[in-house]
Amino acid sequence: MAAETARQFEALEAQAAVLMSTFIAAGYEAVAPAIIQPADIYLDAVGEDLRARTYVFTDPAGDELCLRPDLTVPVCRLYLERNGDAAGREARFCYNGPAFRFQPQGATRAHPREFRQAGIECFGAAGREQADAEVLAAIVRALEGAGLTDYQLSFGDLGLFGAMLTTVDMPERWRQRLKHHFWAPEAFRAELKRLTTAPGDIMKGMPAALAAELDPADTEASEHAVERYLDSEGIEVIGARTLSEITANLVARAADAAAPPLSPTAASLILRYLEVSCPAREAGQRIKDIVRAEGVDISDGLISWQRRLTLLAEQGIDLARADFSAEFGRALAYYTGFVFEAVTPALGRRTPVAGGGRYDALMKVVGGRSDVPAVGAAIHTERLLAAAGRPS
Amino acid sequence: MSTQSLPSGANSSERGSPSGANSSERGSPSGANKDARLVLAVPSKGRLMEQTSEILAKAGLTIRKTGNERGYRGEVAEMPDVEVAFVSASEIARYLKTGQAHIGVTGEDLVRETMPDAETRVILLRKLGFGFADVVVAVPASWLDVRTMSDLDQMAATFRRHHGRPLRVATKYMNLTRAHFARHGVSDYRIVESLGATEGTPAAGTADLIVDITTTGSTLKANGLRILDDGVILKSQANLVAANLAEWSPAARAAEAAILRALDAAT
Repeated sequence: MAAETARQFEALEAQAAVLMSTFIAAGYEAVAPAIIQPADIYLDAVGEDLRARTYVFTDPAGDELCLRPDLTVPVCRLYLERNGDAAGREARFCYNGPAFRFQPQGATRAHPREFRQAGIECFGAAGREQADAEVLAAIVRALEGAGLTDYQLSFGDLGLFGAMLTTVDMPERWRQRLKHHFWAPEAFRAELKRLTTAPGDIMKGMPAALAAELDPADTEASEHAVERYLDSEGIEVIGARTLSEITANLVARAADAAAPPLSPTAASLILRYLEVSCPAREAGQRIKDIVRAEGVDISDGLISWQRRLTLLAEQGIDLARADFSAEFGRALAYYTGFVFEAVTPALGRRTPVAGGGRYDALMKVVGGRSDVPAVGAAIHTERLLAAAGRPS
Repeated sequence: MSTQSLPSGANSSERGSPSGANSSERGSPSGANKDARLVLAVPSKGRLMEQTSEILAKAGLTIRKTGNERGYRGEVAEMPDVEVAFVSASEIARYLKTGQAHIGVTGEDLVRETMPDAETRVILLRKLGFGFADVVVAVPASWLDVRTMSDLDQMAATFRRHHGRPLRVATKYMNLTRAHFARHGVSDYRIVESLGATEGTPAAGTADLIVDITTTGSTLKANGLRILDDGVILKSQANLVAANLAEWSPAARAAEAAILRALDAAT
């Protein structure tokens, strides 16, 4: 529970004052978005996993609402409300407030159902590496300001993963599939194996005679073929998906099935990349060595990675504390680029005191008209208090 | 951004036994009620009640209501140490979860749905050979491009682009659905809770696909639906189930053993 004793309440308040003043001094405007949020937006944005951990309820008017499970989505909504049509404008916000999550294994001190997040979100900043470095630096300064001295940083970079995939020769849809499966290691490996050994399996179980009639160059003829097939089988089209959506997907799948399999060397490059786990300062060279052996070039991605490290060092971040893992980020859906966590020996790697990253695609999901570059991070304040142990 | 780790595995290290009860051993009598009678929960109506009565009758056990014919309490004529509670099938799973009943007859589907941590809370004592039902994922038969969970996952992103919303899955089995979809790496969907006539929701437009129970598949077919090739989540039947969290007096243990002996002798 948040502040279960008066003493902890006072200690959390004092700590929050330090964190917020650090953020405000760094140019972030303090905001306090609503605790009760419309359920729809959350449930559409965060996927079923977080939904299962969100307290959802119906109010007396029959509207579905929820207690916010984090503050990022509420701050995105606040940004949209303020900017309307001018979405894309640069803005920086900071906050300190409660968030709520159902804990399926029962609430504990490290995983409470009610906790307070203090964090920052930076929207619309064009220089991505600069904004990434600035956000991480502000979080580290806040952690240190609250008295935390013994901590490590973990880095990951979904942008680098994307850059690596782009260099491997395969149909674009396969790339999208692999990116999509990044979050689920088992599904990822299964997909990679299928693409390497039997891309044709994708049409297994689909009527062969119909597949032969599908023509990527002639949408109308393909739709007629699907319609004839459904009629002959006595199947009615029900639900939201139309005949043309179904046909388009069948045609695309038939094309994928006919593509040559992914080369084993490409598959091994991808797997070797994902195995990279080393001090952050060595990651660039490590990855360069792996891709060079395959004769591919991902210098754009690596330049961006290296620039970010330089900027972090300029901001005073001690990179000796930072590790890179290509797999890091797999547990955290909706991130699109740089991701990071701060962990402490006191609480362990599975209980980070702070975390965040770049999420360029979220704004549209919560109702924005277009994507807005965004990066943010939050501190789990009860954990920080436990780890930093400020003298009371 | 979120500083809480997401559910997959994050909490597993601190997974404790529910409300302090020892997970491998059943709760032992705390002294007070050492003669407490065994509470047997049985379905209060319908085919499940009839079949439960039949299988117990075959084992030489007669269950009957005590007091008012419309009451919810009863007894086993041959066993004075047993008290019968007539409860709806889904309520029985909740009784067993909390230990309000010692043993009960309910479907494995309801056990798994009601208790994500079923292994620590209950023991499935005997499969009873009735109440067969498969919990399945079914999609419109017209989705020729979707045969498997993986196909569904692949289509979900395109669907969101076209319709501006995630796929909706109608079900009353929210936990089983989440676990099955997560196992197959499907995350871009949303559950809409459905408490009846689930198979009609895709045609009505309130959902795109469903997770529901089926015995022969004919109701699904009549509603224009088809089960995915890897869409069978659970093959369920009625079970006799014991609750770890109930207060097990020596009398209750003896009564349980006697019921199991009678059932085993009859089959």
